[in-house]
Amino acid sequence: MSKSVDLSQEGIEVKKSCCYFCHQNCGVLAYVKDDRVLAIEGDPSFPTNEGGLCCRGNIALKHLDHPARVNYPLKRVGKRGEGKWEQIPWDQALDEIAAKLAAIRDEFGAEAVATAGGTSRTDDWARRRFMNLFGSPNCFHNSHLCWIPTFMVETAIYGWCPFDLDMGSSRCLVLWGQNPGASSMPEMHHISGLQEKGLKVIVIDPRFTETAAKADLWLPLRPGSDLALALAWVNVIIHEGLYDMEFVTEYCEGFGELADHVEQFTPEWAAPLTWLTPEQIRESAYMYATSKPGNIQWGVAIDQLGKSAGAAMHARALLRALTGNLDCPGSDLLTGPSQDSITDEEMEANDTLPEEQKAKQIGADRFKLVTWPGYSKIAELAKKHWGKAPTAEWMCEAHPPSVFNAILTGEPYPVKALLVSATNPVNSYGQSKMTLEALRKVDFMVTCEYWMTPTAALSDYVLPIAGALERPTITNSYGCADFLLCSQRAIKPMYERRNDYNFWRDLGMRMGQEEMWPWETVEDAYHYRIEPLGYGVESYDEFVDLYRFHFPEREFYKYKRIGFGTPSGKVELYSSTLKELGYPPLPEYVGPAENELDDPELAKEYPLVLTTGNGFMPFHHSEHFQIKELRFLRHEPRVEINPATAAELGIAEDDWVWIETRRGRIKQKASLTHGVAPRVIVTERGWWFPERSMNEPELGGCLESNTNVLTSVADEHCDPMSGTWANRGLLCKVYKVNGADAKEGK
Amino acid sequence: MARYAMVFDTRRCIGCHSCTVACRTKNELPIDMIYNPVTTVGPTGVYPKLSMVHMPLICMHCDNPPCVDACPTCASQRRDDGIVFVEDKKCVGCLACVMACPYGARVKNHESGAVQKCDFCKDRVDEGLLPFCVLTCHQKARVFGDLDDETSEVYKLVNGERTVRLLAELGTEPYAFYIYG
Repeated sequence: MSKSVDLSQEGIEVKKSCCYFCHQNCGVLAYVKDDRVLAIEGDPSFPTNEGGLCCRGNIALKHLDHPARVNYPLKRVGKRGEGKWEQIPWDQALDEIAAKLAAIRDEFGAEAVATAGGTSRTDDWARRRFMNLFGSPNCFHNSHLCWIPTFMVETAIYGWCPFDLDMGSSRCLVLWGQNPGASSMPEMHHISGLQEKGLKVIVIDPRFTETAAKADLWLPLRPGSDLALALAWVNVIIHEGLYDMEFVTEYCEGFGELADHVEQFTPEWAAPLTWLTPEQIRESAYMYATSKPGNIQWGVAIDQLGKSAGAAMHARALLRALTGNLDCPGSDLLTGPSQDSITDEEMEANDTLPEEQKAKQIGADRFKLVTWPGYSKIAELAKKHWGKAPTAEWMCEAHPPSVFNAILTGEPYPVKALLVSATNPVNSYGQSKMTLEALRKVDFMVTCEYWMTPTAALSDYVLPIAGALERPTITNSYGCADFLLCSQRAIKPMYERRNDYNFWRDLGMRMGQEEMWPWETVEDAYHYRIEPLGYGVESYDEFVDLYRFHFPEREFYKYKRIGFGTPSGKVELYSSTLKELGYPPLPEYVGPAENELDDPELAKEYPLVLTTGNGFMPFHHSEHFQIKELRFLRHEPRVEINPATAAELGIAEDDWVWIETRRGRIKQKASLTHGVAPRVIVTERGWWFPERSMNEPELGGCLESNTNVLTSVADEHCDPMSGTWANRGLLCKVYKVNGADAKEGK
Repeated sequence: MARYAMVFDTRRCIGCHSCTVACRTKNELPIDMIYNPVTTVGPTGVYPKLSMVHMPLICMHCDNPPCVDACPTCASQRRDDGIVFVEDKKCVGCLACVMACPYGARVKNHESGAVQKCDFCKDRVDEGLLPFCVLTCHQKARVFGDLDDETSEVYKLVNGERTVRLLAELGTEPYAFYIYG
C-alpha cells in the first residue's frame, strides 16, 4: 500500500491471504508480483473483518522481511544460550534431529519426547499425527488457559460447546472476561453494529476496558471471583423464577438437584466475595435471563482462574441451559463438528497411538478432563452423537507444568526432548522461573520460530518457519467449527523458511512414517480435506480463488430431532460425565486461587489482588516487541493501579514499580487509572526485550517484566478437572523500584 | 465537483490505533511522524462511575485553511474538492504552516525536509478508493465521502446526527466532523 507502489501496473496478482497475528485470521488481500508482496489490505469481502485490519495486521509487510527474522536453519555450536550458531541445510537439521529423537526413544521410551505449542497459527493436526505415530502422548499447548477446558466442560454438559454465537437476533450479550475492543476487532465491530439496533451488552471484567466503556452494564468484580458470580446468577434465575420452564422440563436432567444445591448461593452471599452489590448481581442476572434470546461469549478469564476454573465454567454453562439460550435463533449454537469436510481430528491418526502410551500422558492421573481419560469418554459420546469427535490436539494434552516438572525432577519419568513450535514458553507458560529452568535443563530442544526468542536462544536447533503470507491457512476454530474460512499463500516462503507442516512431515518421513504422509505439500493435505465438500475443484488454491468459504446450512433446535450428545441425551445440569470422571456433578464453590478469606495471613503480606494476562494492543501474547511500527505505541510494560492506592504507596504515574507474589517479583511502569478498583492490580503479559542481548544470562530480559513470574502452577492452585493454572485473582504487593535494585531481574 | 469530508463516530472508536499504524505504513512515514493520532481521554470519573472516549485526529481539510494562507511558496494548496495537501517539491520546510495550523496536523519530515500531513489519501480517492484509514478501521468509526452528494453517508450523518467541528469558533470551517454519544 506504499505510495511508491503502483498497484495498477501489469502483472500484479491479488492473492486471498489472511492475517496471523491473532486467532481471528482476518481476510487479507495481497498484491503480488514476481513472488513479492507489494502491498496488503484487509479483504472487504471477508465475512469477519470486512476490510478492517488492526494495527498488527497492518504491519504484515514489516513482519514478513524484518531484519530480525530467523531465515535459515541454525545449529548450536557453542554452549546452550551462548548465541553461537552455524547455518546448516534443512536436510542436515532434519537428519540429525530424527537421529537424536530415535536415540531418546530407544533409551527412554517415546514418551520422553514432548512438544510445546502456542497459539493457533500452525497445522497442529500434523504435529499430533507425527507424535501419535512416533508414540508419545506428551503434546501440549497453552490451551489450558485458553478455551479448551471450557470446550470440554460444556461438551460434557450439552454434548458440544456452543461457541458459535448467532448474534444477529440476540437481545443481550454477556462478555464474561472478554475484551473484544482490544483482542477481537471483527467481533467488536459486529457488536457495535448490533448495539445500535438495541442489543444490550453486559461486560464482566475487573477493568474498565475498551469494551466496558461501550457496555450497558459493567460488573467490575473482584479478580478471580467469577465462580461466586455465576453461582449467584444461577440462584437468581432459578429461585426468582426466571428460568425457561419448558426447556428445563423437556430437555434438562437434574434441575431439582441443582435448585437445591444453589439455594445457598444468593446475591447476598456472593456480594462480599465478588465486591459487587446484591443489586448489581440481580440486575445483571435479570437482564440476561429476561432479554431473550441472548448470548454468553466465551472469554479466557475463566479458563485462567486456576483452582475454581472448572466449577466456574460449569456454572456459567448452566446459565444458557436454564434460560433456554441454546441452539435457538439468536442464542449460542450447538453446531457440532464439520460434517462435510475432513476434520482436524480425522487427520490426527489418534488410533495409531497405543493405549499403553495414552496411559502415560503426563498429568492424566490428576487432571482427567483434557487428557486421555476425559477426552476418550467425551470423544466417544461425540462420535456416537455427531459421527465425529473434537480435535485431540488442544482438547487432549499433557499438563504443561507437569511436563516441565518432569524435565526438572525425572518424575513420573524423564522427559529428554522438547520440540517447540510457535511458542515462547518462558513468557507464555506459568511460573516462568520454573519453566526457564526446565528449558535450560532439557537434554535436547528444537524450536520452530519466526524470531530468536528467549526460548529459541536456549535451543539446539532453531528452524525458520513461514508466516501467514507464505502459507495457506484453514480457519475453523481449532478444528471444531462446522464452517471453513480458507486462505491461500501469497508467495513462496522467503529465504529457507518452511511450513510447520513440512517440519512434522519431513521428520516423520525420516522416522518410518512414510506411508502416513501422502500429502507432499500443505495444499495437497488441504485439498484432501475439502474434497468431500463437493465443489469439484482440482486444487485447494482453486477453492480459495472461487469460493474461499464454506458455511453449511444452519439447523436450529437440532436437539428436538436428535437430542443432546450426553449419556442421557439431555442437557445434564447434573453431569454424569463429570461424576464418572470423579468430579462434582454440580458446581461447588471454591474461593479464588489466593484470597484474603481463606488465607488472611497471606493477605497481610500481599494485600492487593492481581490479575494478569489481559490482551492489549498492539501486542499479542509475547510477540511483536521487535517491530518499531508497533512498539512506538507502547515502549514499556505497564501496570494499572488505582490512584488512591498509588498515593498510599507513594507511587506516581510512570514510576517503575515491583509487583511481587509468593513466586517472585517483576517490574513494570505504573499507569494510574480509575479503571480498576483500589485493591486491584493489572499487569501486562508477554514482555521481553528483543533489543537486549539474547544470550545467557540476559536472554532478552525474559524474567524482568514477565507477568508469568507471578502466576502459580502449584497443584493446589490448579483446577482439579483440567489442570489449568492460576493467572487471575492472586495476592500481590506493589512497591516502588529504587535506585539500588533498578537493574535486578535481568 | 465533490466536497470531501470525514466523519468520526466516537461512539464506535475503541482507540485501537489501527488507523495510525496503517497510515504510517501506507505513507512510509519515519517513526517520529504521525498523520492521524488517536488520543484517549479517560477513564474519567471516579471508580466505578467512569467514562472513556477516543479522539481520532487528522488534518481537518478546512474550507478556510490558515496553512494555505501562511505558505510563502504555495506548496500548501487546497483542491476544488476540498482536499488540502502539500506539494512536496515546492515546500522549503519553513514551518510557517505548522505554526498557522490550529489543529497541530502538520509535521516536518526530517528525511525529505518537507512538511507533510494527511491528504485524505488523494491518490486512492482519485481512483475511487477509500482513504486507507477508513478501509482499515474495523469499527467503521470513520466515514468518508462527498458532502455535496445527498445520498452519501457523510451527508446523512452531518445533516442527521449532532456533529461537532473542532475549534469551529476560529472560522476555519473544518471538513472533519465528530459525533459524540
